[in-house]
Amino acid sequence: MPETPSKKPVVLLVIVGIVFGVSLLLVLLGLRPTEKQLVEIVQDGQVLYTLDLASAEDQELRIEAENGSWNLVCIRDGEIFMQDAGCPDHTCVNMGVLRAENLPIVCLPNRLVIRFAQGGQT
Amino acid sequence: MKLHKLTELALLTALALIIFIIELRIPDLTPIPGVKLGLANIITVYAVFRYRPGETAMLVAARLLLGAMFTGNLSALLYSAAGAGLCLLGMLGVKRFIPQRYIWLCSVIGAILHNTGQIGAAIVLMRTTAVLTYLPVLLVSGCIAGLFTGLCAQFTVIRMEKLRPDRHE
Repeated sequence: MPETPSKKPVVLLVIVGIVFGVSLLLVLLGLRPTEKQLVEIVQDGQVLYTLDLASAEDQELRIEAENGSWNLVCIRDGEIFMQDAGCPDHTCVNMGVLRAENLPIVCLPNRLVIRFAQGGQT
Repeated sequence: MKLHKLTELALLTALALIIFIIELRIPDLTPIPGVKLGLANIITVYAVFRYRPGETAMLVAARLLLGAMFTGNLSALLYSAAGAGLCLLGMLGVKRFIPQRYIWLCSVIGAILHNTGQIGAAIVLMRTTAVLTYLPVLLVSGCIAGLFTGLCAQFTVIRMEKLRPDRHE
């Protein structure tokens, strides 16, 4: 470990500070509840369903995954959430209702995403 | 000496696993997946500064494999391995030119790389960039958690150095 004071830690510190600041800004901007009503259910990069929460009837969608597991998506009173899943950790179920544009409900093991539809983005 | 090293590394691996399992029992602070303290990384950061790169890599690999087996969530292994791999490479690189009082900074950089690696793996495996919007959330929580675990590791490294200054390399 060289004893001479190095500028490298300071440079790193600044980079880390910038990363943190930008992320914080994006989080604060992105986590507001959205006005959008159009929701997509995406599996493996393919859009399976597109639903309009404003007009969608209360329903349950059972989506089978390639690996034999499954997810139960539930729409109730204009809100969409994961009711149940065949995976052990239930992370997606615990995420609750889909609210923010930048926080899609993601099921990693079954490669399923529920998100607000974004114009032009895949 | 070799046996001695092996025993120490095994002990550290066991310690990391115990911390990992105990942390699983702590209820999540937020419903956002991936936001957690990552207390087991205290051991990783400690090993980065006290052992050779190869030894640290073995420790981390053993911890990941056993951790995935203990939780029964093998599908998460790919994501955690991508994160941990990138994190380890970054920390080993940064470690070369930062003094010991900046260990916490090394840990924060590791946390940033860890989250980036995880999201990168998720983008590749899920074939969608939708998960990318998670990255800022994970980076903010990762920086804070990394600072905390890094400081824990820093205090431990400095104390162990005083206790046994002649050890390791």
